[in-house]
Amino acid sequence: MRILSSIAPLLLLIGGSLAKKAQTDAYEEFNKLAQRSSPIKLNDATYASLTTAPRNHSVAVLLTALETRFGCQLCQEFQPEWDLLGKSWTKGDKTGESRLIFGTLDFADGRETFISLGLQTAPVLMLFNPTVGPHAATSPEPSRYDFTAGPPAAEQVHSWLSRQLPNRPHPAVKRPINWLRWASTITLVLGVGTALVSASSYVLPIIQNRNIWASVSLIAILLFTSGHMFNHIRKVPYIVGDGKGGVSYIAGGFQSQLGLETQIVAAICKTNFFYAILFRKLMHCVIDGILSFCAITLAVKVPRMADSKTQQVAVVVWSITLFLVYSFLLSVFRVKNGGYPFSLPPFM
Amino acid sequence: MAAKTQGPAVGYTTESTRTLLRVVILCFIAAAAISSRLFSVIRFESIIHEFDPWFNFRATKYLVANGFHKFWDWFDDRTWHPLGRVTGGTLYPGLMVTSGAIYHALRTLTIPVDIRNICVLLAPACSGLTAFATYLLTNEMTTSPSAGLLAAVFMGIAPGYISRSVAGSYDNEAIAIFLLVFTFYLWIKALKLGSMLWGALCALFYGYMVASWGGYAFITCLLPVHALVLIAMGRYSTRLYVSYTTWYALGTLASMQIPFVGFLPIKTSEHMPALGIFGFIQLIGFIQYVRSAISGRQFQTFLVTILVATFGLGLLGLVALTSLGYVAPWSGRFYSLWDTGYAKIHIPIIASVSEHQPTAWPSFFFDLNFLIWLFPAGVYLCFQDLKDEHVFVVVYALFGSYFAGVMVRLMLTLTPVVCVAAAMAASQILDTYLSWKSATPVEEQEAPKKVKGGLRGSDKPNVGIYSNLTKVMVSGSMLVYLLMFVSHCTWVTSNAYSSPSVVLASRMPDGSQHIIDDYREAYQWLRQNTKEDAKVMSWWDYGYQIGGMADRPTLVDNNTWNNTHIATVGKAMSSREEVSYPIMRQHEVDYVLVVFGALLGYSGDDINKFLWMVRIAEGIWPDEVKERDFFTPQGEYRVDEGATETMKNSLMYKMSYYNYASLFPAGQAADRVRGVRIPDQGPVLNTLEEAFTSENWIIRIYKVKDLDNIGRDHANAAAFERGQKKKKPTKKRGARVLRVD
Repeated sequence: MRILSSIAPLLLLIGGSLAKKAQTDAYEEFNKLAQRSSPIKLNDATYASLTTAPRNHSVAVLLTALETRFGCQLCQEFQPEWDLLGKSWTKGDKTGESRLIFGTLDFADGRETFISLGLQTAPVLMLFNPTVGPHAATSPEPSRYDFTAGPPAAEQVHSWLSRQLPNRPHPAVKRPINWLRWASTITLVLGVGTALVSASSYVLPIIQNRNIWASVSLIAILLFTSGHMFNHIRKVPYIVGDGKGGVSYIAGGFQSQLGLETQIVAAICKTNFFYAILFRKLMHCVIDGILSFCAITLAVKVPRMADSKTQQVAVVVWSITLFLVYSFLLSVFRVKNGGYPFSLPPFM
Repeated sequence: MAAKTQGPAVGYTTESTRTLLRVVILCFIAAAAISSRLFSVIRFESIIHEFDPWFNFRATKYLVANGFHKFWDWFDDRTWHPLGRVTGGTLYPGLMVTSGAIYHALRTLTIPVDIRNICVLLAPACSGLTAFATYLLTNEMTTSPSAGLLAAVFMGIAPGYISRSVAGSYDNEAIAIFLLVFTFYLWIKALKLGSMLWGALCALFYGYMVASWGGYAFITCLLPVHALVLIAMGRYSTRLYVSYTTWYALGTLASMQIPFVGFLPIKTSEHMPALGIFGFIQLIGFIQYVRSAISGRQFQTFLVTILVATFGLGLLGLVALTSLGYVAPWSGRFYSLWDTGYAKIHIPIIASVSEHQPTAWPSFFFDLNFLIWLFPAGVYLCFQDLKDEHVFVVVYALFGSYFAGVMVRLMLTLTPVVCVAAAMAASQILDTYLSWKSATPVEEQEAPKKVKGGLRGSDKPNVGIYSNLTKVMVSGSMLVYLLMFVSHCTWVTSNAYSSPSVVLASRMPDGSQHIIDDYREAYQWLRQNTKEDAKVMSWWDYGYQIGGMADRPTLVDNNTWNNTHIATVGKAMSSREEVSYPIMRQHEVDYVLVVFGALLGYSGDDINKFLWMVRIAEGIWPDEVKERDFFTPQGEYRVDEGATETMKNSLMYKMSYYNYASLFPAGQAADRVRGVRIPDQGPVLNTLEEAFTSENWIIRIYKVKDLDNIGRDHANAAAFERGQKKKKPTKKRGARVLRVD
């Protein structure tokens, strides 16, 4: 094999034209580089020599802007996946049957290329198909990967590449086993287990404490039934502009809500940033929670008060709170649902 | 409440009076539950609603006409053309069999009744039963005499349940919620008594539930979780052993009788908790037996270790079997409940259904009103004297609210526990504040002994309320809340949940009701004007309706069992005519049906669903259909002048806007859904011809042209028809030869 591969360029040298020789050299040369570290880090010159028009290999180039001053989050997030893909492809294809070279061109090294391609955004992933040879494509123009769906995983890019390069081997993406993470997880589990067992006399009362379980379940229920999962899944913004320079806090419409949905809360909390953040995400949860707490107090705590005066005050305070907050809740709901006819004073 | 204080002398009469009162009240509740679901029948007519019910209705008619055995072996060649569907083996037959049985029973009693009316009214009838089952379940939870009745009222009129059970909504959920609640009642009863009989009854109704609704997995997972929590709390008992084992053994056997379920209970992950706990409880039972026979502290520690180790090993074994492929991993729909981003990336067909979206807060309030804040209070009350059945409510509440938060549709399974818990809280408040007995202060010396592990604050004695003023205040405001709840429910039912969606209602300028009946108009046209076996291609949403109302074969329908087939239709809709035509020919499509709301401002039309068609097609043919191409470079989804070329050339766009501009004066054509102006020069259709457009243009039907008589392609033929000259005469024409054939 070794003999053959060393003879092959020789034969080509003898038989082929000068241009062809240059190409073979380009591929061989870059392939050697790639064996050392793939994707190859390119600059203007190497980019040009790698992608010049008559070529009998494919090139996948990622044009990216990794420096922090560009603030390209997508580039940063995609880079490790790209490196992984390049590495596992080159490793899985030692003989170079797929004739695909992976390259990365950072804006810092390839300013000229970016300008000549007229690129305004990064990252751009281009695949140059070979122009000569058995896999030659009809169009010399490179195809571009679509980054609109956020940073893709290495597997997604791999399947895109595989579709573009039919009839060639497609070495699968091999994610390295994260030994450190496994080790740390196992250590952690064992450690926590040991700690729990040895400290069981302290931990058990906490685990068996009914109050803790009750409050944890209530908080979980309140979170789930106040649309927190919606915020979590949709990753809703806290606030949106209302198009007039102001900020709107309560999203109109039914299957929509914002993380922050109250004017009042915002007004109260403008001074107090911490509470503002807490309130923003949890407004419905907090309102429901207050109402539930009032109901619990009225049902459980108040009848157990031994003193008649205290009891009377407590009943008045809690039932008025309940009434007011419920009235507020109804008014919030009316913002969402314009035609809703019911309301309670004072938030009519 | 006053009756409680009376002496034992009058106990007999009050007891019977109370029972009578209860029966009367429950009858009233059932009547209220049924009548509040009749809005749609009164406003429109006795008609089957929406999409899925039309399939159920069609299947019921088949069952009634052909008998049970034929129904069981039903192979339906009129759907999923050309694949067909093994309908008998891929449906939950409970609903159809129930209405078939009612039909035959009424026939035997010589009551002539149309099967359609049975189907329309089945859901309201079951809601009365659900209210009764909720009453029974709540009575197991609390000693308060009013809680059960309150729960029954709540359940009867809560919009969260009404949304799936109005008259005409002939869906699996119609009977399934009754079965769900009743199975839970029987489970609690079995657990309390440790009775094999109740356990067997529970298994029986569980089997019925499995036969009725795919949501049975909720019971399959909830009961083992309840058992596991009880074991973890150290509450293992022979009662638990007997009831769980009976339920699991008989229930699994029953569920395996349904062809659609078959061997799933021992093969898929969502059934594994039940199986695992079954094995675990056997082990515990054995160890308990050994422990009672042998004493010794060390031995017991040893046993506990074995227990924990076996549990861990079992879990590991399950994971190993799953990864080796012996046990099917979580199916997509279930998995998406846990990993909430999963469906959006991997199964667009699940993510595309609006019922599978996460629930925002307004929906919770809309469906449950003030129960939403009484519910946590009720759960808190369950923690007070945490008996086995209260643990069940807590577990159910946690899981139910999680699932309801992740998927709008699962609000339905949350509603029963909300009603039960809220009724417990409401009755606690009402019992306390409606009692005329004034509180008597307790002497200090009989201070209660600290109960270990109780709730903070509830260890003091309950003395009652002193002042009558505060009683009036609290009961008055509760009354206001209850009244508001009733009016809220009526309002929601009447406004949001009573539209058949087959028939649309709108208001004329003078306030009178105007019925828009385009769907039935179009389906009737299909039924009367097309061949018996003319294949109709449409997006899958309308498959069941076309099958049910027009009785024509369809390519895809709401039983989304074959994603590729749906993607094929999506590709045909989202590609150019030149690409779509061969696809349609290959599938022998005769007619194509699109729903188009631009004239009326009907927003649920196909252009708004179009991106899902594109996405689903892209999942299978990522190189031929690209979602990106349907967005302008600015990332907008446009249908007007600025629409992308791909959009303008797609079959769906062409069919929707074909000839649309000619309705308006020049330059005035507007799309009232998207709120944009449509170009005057409409799209040109070559391979299809318009066959029918309904009164308000909601439904448009196109006929697929046959191949051209003289072998031209359709574009040329159509251009010739329009009288356009050929732009390019055929470039190369060989030497003229005489025809020899």
